[in-house]
Amino acid sequence: METIIQGVFNGALMGCTYALIALGLSLIFGVMNVVNFAHGDFVMLSMYFTFWAGSIWGVDAALTPLITFPLLFSFGIIVYYGLINRTLREHYTIQIAVTVGLMTFLRAITQLVWHAQPRALPYSFIQGNIHLGGYVIALSRLTSATISLIIIAGISFFLSKTWPGRTIRATSDDLDAASLMGVDFQKTYALAFGLGSSLTAIAGSLLMTFQQVDPTMGLRFGLLSWCILALAGLGSIPGLLISGLIVGVGESLAMTFWDPRARSLVIYLIFILVLWLRPRGIFGRK
Amino acid sequence: MSQVLQVRDLSSGYGRVTILRDINFQIEEDEVVAVIGSNGAGKTTLLKTISKIISPFAGEIIFEGQDITKFPPHLISQAGIAHVPEGGKLFSNMTVYENLLMGTYRNRKKINLKILEEIYEIFPILKEREKQLAKTLSGGERQMLSIGRSLASQPRFLMLDEPSQGLAPKLVDNIYQKLSILKKKGLTMLLIEQNIIYALKFAERAYVLENGKIVMQGRSKELLNSEHIKKHYLGI
Repeated sequence: METIIQGVFNGALMGCTYALIALGLSLIFGVMNVVNFAHGDFVMLSMYFTFWAGSIWGVDAALTPLITFPLLFSFGIIVYYGLINRTLREHYTIQIAVTVGLMTFLRAITQLVWHAQPRALPYSFIQGNIHLGGYVIALSRLTSATISLIIIAGISFFLSKTWPGRTIRATSDDLDAASLMGVDFQKTYALAFGLGSSLTAIAGSLLMTFQQVDPTMGLRFGLLSWCILALAGLGSIPGLLISGLIVGVGESLAMTFWDPRARSLVIYLIFILVLWLRPRGIFGRK
Repeated sequence: MSQVLQVRDLSSGYGRVTILRDINFQIEEDEVVAVIGSNGAGKTTLLKTISKIISPFAGEIIFEGQDITKFPPHLISQAGIAHVPEGGKLFSNMTVYENLLMGTYRNRKKINLKILEEIYEIFPILKEREKQLAKTLSGGERQMLSIGRSLASQPRFLMLDEPSQGLAPKLVDNIYQKLSILKKKGLTMLLIEQNIIYALKFAERAYVLENGKIVMQGRSKELLNSEHIKKHYLGI
C-alpha cells in the first residue's frame, strides 16, 4: 500500500511539470492550430542548454530557468516568423512537414553536439529529501513541482487579466473578429509561440535538477505533452493540470508495478484510449 | 461636408471568383447610407473588402482622404473604421464584458472605461449579462453585443452587415431604435441590408447592388417609389 502512495506522490509531482510542458503546447496548438511536432524537442534543447550552463559555467540547475526562458522565448519567436508564419495559409501537410523537419533537425543537432550518452548535472543546491509521514519526497522534485504550479498560475492570470493575454484568447476564438478590433494577429501568434516555447524551457531546466538528458528525450516529452493535451482538451488550464497529474501518476505506478520500461507504453495506451473514447478531451470545449 | 469614404473602381472576390465589379460610391460626413440587394449580390463581400478581411483585385478605397487600399485589417480598425460583421462574430468563449473590452483594443493604452458605461446605457441588457459567456446569449443579444463591441472602439465610421438577419420583427425594431440613437449622435454609417423597407427607412441614401454591380442609386424616398424596386424587391 505504501508503495502505491509513494508512487502516487512521485507521479503527482512529475505531473505538475508535465502539465507545464503541455500548457506550452496548448498555447501553440490552441491558439493558432499548429501541430508543433518539435515541442518535446524544445524541452530537450532546454535540458541540454541547462547541462551546458551547469558544466561549463557552473550555474546551478535550479537557476537556469532564468537563462533558458529568454533563450527559448527568442527561439520560439524566430521559429514562428521563420517557419510557422509562412505556412499558416498553406495546406496543413506543409505545416506538418515543417515542424517535423524542425524536430528532426533538433534531434540531429543534439546528437552531434552532445552525443548519444545521457548527460547529467551534479546535484543542485536543492538536494536531499524530506520525510512526510513515512514517505520520502525528493526536494528537487518538490521544488520543480512547486515552481511549475506557480508558473501555471501565472500564465492563467496572464491570460485572463492582461491585455496581451486577453488578445491571445480573442485571437484564438475568432481570428477575423480580432483583426476587426485592430489586433495584429501575426504579433499575437508570435507571442503565443514564444511563450509556449519558453514554458518548455522552464520545465526542461527544472527537470535537470534531478534527471538526465539524452537525444530520445524529445520523443518522450513530445508524446507526453500531446497525450496530456488530448486528455485535457482545449480551453481549461485546471483541466490541463489534472490531466498532467493523471498521466504523471499513471506513468509512476506503471513503472513501479509493471516494468520501468513500460513508462512510454502506458502513455501511449492512455493516449489511444482518450482519442478513441473522448476525442475532445475530458475538459475540452472545442 | 467632408467625404468620409470614397470607393473607386473597386473589384473584389474570392480566389478566382470575382464578386464585385467596378464599384464606385462615396459617403459624406454624418450620412447614413445603405447598400441593398438580394442574397449573393455581393454586399457582404463589399464590407469585407473595405475592412480588408479580403483584399481587392483592383480599385481604391479612400478613408478621410487617406488611401487605405493596401492596409492590413488591423490598421483599418485603428484608422477609425468599425465593421459589425454578419452574424456578429463574437468571441464566444469570452464574457460580454470581455467582448466589449476587446472592442476598446485600439484605444487600450489610453483606456477610458466611460465608453463602456455609454454602451450599457444604449444596451442595458448587456449590463445584465455582463459576466455571461457570449455564446450563452440569444440572437438579439448577440447582435447588440456585436454592435456594442464595435462602438467601444469609438469609431468615426460604422459599417453594419445585415443587423436584422435571423431576428424576429420586434427585435429588429429594437435594434433599429438603438441605431437611431447613434444616427442622432451624428455617427457616419454604412448599412447592408436585405430587408429593403428597414434599410430605406433608416438610411437617407442608398445604392442598389445586383450581381456585383451598382445598378441604381438615389435618395431613399425616390428609391422606394421607383418601379424597379417596387417590382423586384417589394413584390408590388
